[in-house]
Amino acid sequence: MTMSSPEPLLALTNVNTFYGQAQVHFGLSITVGRGHIVCLLGGNASGKSTTMKIILGLVKPRSGEVTFDGASLIGLTTPQIVRRGIASVPEARRLFADMSVRENILMGAFVRSDREAIAQDLDKMLTLFPKLGQRLSQRAGSLSGGEQQMVAMARALMSRPRMIVMDEPTMGLSPLYVDRVLELIRTINQEGVSVFMVEQNASLALEIAHEAYVLQTGKIVLSGSARTLKDDPRVRDAYLGGSEAA
Amino acid sequence: MASWLDYTINGLIVGNVYALVAVGLALIFGVSRLINFAQGSIYLVGAYIGWVAVVQLHTPLPITIIFVAVVAALVGLIIERFGLRPLQNSVRIAPLLATIGISFVLDQLVMLTFSPNPRALPSQLPDVRFQLGGGTIGPLDLLIAGVGISSALSLFVFLRYSKLGWAVRAASQDRDAAMQMGVDVNRVNQAVFGIAAALGGVSGLLVGMYYNQIDTAMSLQATLKGVVAEVVGGAGNVPGAVVGSLLLGLVESYGVAVFGTSYRNLFAFLLLVVVLVLRPNGLFASARQAPPEPLTGTFIAPSRPVRIPRWALAVAVAAFAVLPLLPVSFYMLQTLINAWLLGMLALSLTLVAGTIGQVSLGHAALLAIGAYTSALLSLTLAVPVGLAIIAGGLMSAALGTILISPSFRLRGHYVSIATLAIGEIVSLVILNWESVTRGPIGISGIPPLSLFGYDLISPNSVYWFSFAVMVALALLQARLLSSHLGRSFRAIRDDDIAARAYGLSLNRYKSLAFIFGGFAAGVSGGIAAHLYSYINHETFNTQQSILALTVVILGGLGNVVGAVVGAVALVGLPEIFRIAAEYRILIYGIVLLLLVRFRPQGLLGTI
Repeated sequence: MTMSSPEPLLALTNVNTFYGQAQVHFGLSITVGRGHIVCLLGGNASGKSTTMKIILGLVKPRSGEVTFDGASLIGLTTPQIVRRGIASVPEARRLFADMSVRENILMGAFVRSDREAIAQDLDKMLTLFPKLGQRLSQRAGSLSGGEQQMVAMARALMSRPRMIVMDEPTMGLSPLYVDRVLELIRTINQEGVSVFMVEQNASLALEIAHEAYVLQTGKIVLSGSARTLKDDPRVRDAYLGGSEAA
Repeated sequence: MASWLDYTINGLIVGNVYALVAVGLALIFGVSRLINFAQGSIYLVGAYIGWVAVVQLHTPLPITIIFVAVVAALVGLIIERFGLRPLQNSVRIAPLLATIGISFVLDQLVMLTFSPNPRALPSQLPDVRFQLGGGTIGPLDLLIAGVGISSALSLFVFLRYSKLGWAVRAASQDRDAAMQMGVDVNRVNQAVFGIAAALGGVSGLLVGMYYNQIDTAMSLQATLKGVVAEVVGGAGNVPGAVVGSLLLGLVESYGVAVFGTSYRNLFAFLLLVVVLVLRPNGLFASARQAPPEPLTGTFIAPSRPVRIPRWALAVAVAAFAVLPLLPVSFYMLQTLINAWLLGMLALSLTLVAGTIGQVSLGHAALLAIGAYTSALLSLTLAVPVGLAIIAGGLMSAALGTILISPSFRLRGHYVSIATLAIGEIVSLVILNWESVTRGPIGISGIPPLSLFGYDLISPNSVYWFSFAVMVALALLQARLLSSHLGRSFRAIRDDDIAARAYGLSLNRYKSLAFIFGGFAAGVSGGIAAHLYSYINHETFNTQQSILALTVVILGGLGNVVGAVVGAVALVGLPEIFRIAAEYRILIYGIVLLLLVRFRPQGLLGTI
């Protein structure tokens, strides 16, 4: 297993975040290596989703640094960050419910203007997600949860991102779709896109991730390669159905 | 005698005009979940810009239309950039209050520039009528229909095929997700405000030509009609807004055909209230559409209220009580009497809008109910004035609560719209119920204030009377708020779902708040009636409702002392600085804007 390369693609360094008076992150530091799948594990209210919002510029940290490909993201707006090459699959998909599936996927290419290449990429998405072919003109809101997840992933890929951030991509999906989604994340990653995902389901996430971090009430309590974390008794106890968690 | 076909044509034409306003409102609501109360002001600006173009610049019709659209769009862009964008991260209702302030400012600027007198706006089209079946149709009708249809078509093409149009649709369905696709929401907002303003401005121009006359009262009417059409069609639903507008136009036109012109607006507001109560998401909302939850949120900015020691309050009350004994001018007393009356209204509103969080925009209706009740009782049944005023307060409490009760299930912006509509309905009923209210003539010769058989005519006695009543009401309200009841009110305001989960009956507490608030407002209206000796359906108007809202925000929402301080400040300061009457509304608008932006907790802080 490769360890993180010398210069990471994404780096959060000593990030402190507040919602009003309440502190959400305490000196958070996370790196995502180029070409890696990195997973952030944690329970409810541990600050996972806020981490995603920090990366996307939806929430501003009070202090700390966030860099992508060596350049700071602090002070950039969300659209500017998207243009730097970060795409997102938000929590609960967040599709544009009243737009068609085709429009949703094409919205992912909003930052691009190369019409022909966009059309080619749309075809590519239909080979990657064959089920969406028959659904293209349907209202996105009428799809099942699993199908919506496919649309959300296709939408994220349409911007030709260097990195995709995903917030609980398997949440609320049937076991069949969970496997499908994990397989797709692996496929996407093999094509060179780095992935940062936030997950509650540790066992699934550790199966595909290279590295993982465990977040507890705003602090990283454990980190390392996915393989070592999978065998770590503390992770087992807390997330993998160990004796104490029961 | 016009035929039914004529009424239908008229209804559709007027509906087209409403559609131009309502479509803009729907676009803006879609993207920013905001009811833009300044839309009517842009319509007004459009009409006057059109007048400048036609009468002074003698532009041909196509140029006039383009000129109006461009100038109106610029006004829209300025409103978005400087009025609303700075409020992006504030409480939900802040932008709504800001648009109210902006509309005051714009309307007054137009009035100051062009004088309040109506002006004739020639239509620039030949005045001929063509026979069409049993009715007739003129070139202007065709122009309005043409502008309406082509605007709808171009909007459809824009939303469906242009990149910016896609961004508008995406942002209106999920703002955060759109940003994560790289959509610059500020640009989308700008586009939407520009389009909405251009359509609104052209609508004002066309209406001016249609009725051949423009005046500054057009503004509020246009906003109200647009809001009605938009809500009927489903807030944020652009095609729904078109259908809602045509429906509104037809309902009004047939209503006028059957009942007469003075009923025109009544149908609009009744339609609104019925739709709000039965289908708050509009006639065409699908079940999947977002419920009105995101609209919740009152204007309570978290703050620590300024604590004023009891002795200081006692000293202040004593000082104001002995004031008439000092050598003060009659004018000063008069001003303070007005402040005390406004203070009572503000006490009522700060309870309803602040403590329990129902931002009412129709509070003047409570004044009107109290005033008419008290005036009619003392005049026709010779009830002693003191008793009549109390009866006025009780009537306001009862009737106001009954009228508002259908909207208890509404939240956030919808409460404001419903109260606005109910306020208008009260004023229209007063206008039309001639056998009781004497209709447009109003009531004159109302007996002066009196207490236990003694007439209160001297300024000093009127001053003491109104001051004493206000202080009594304030003490009562302070007592109420420090009790268990006050806590329940605030619980409902802060989180009505949680409050309900704890077993609080929302309807009962909202009723209690409106009963108490209605009484205070009704007493204020009653005193005013006997003081003015003449009232009509326009004495207590929407402007007063908004003034009261500005007062309570200035004082700090929910803050009893703040309501009184706010009233003294807003009535008193313009007097002290001798600001001419026509600039006052402008100043109120600016004060409201500044408060919303820089000190949402008001002078004394929210409670």
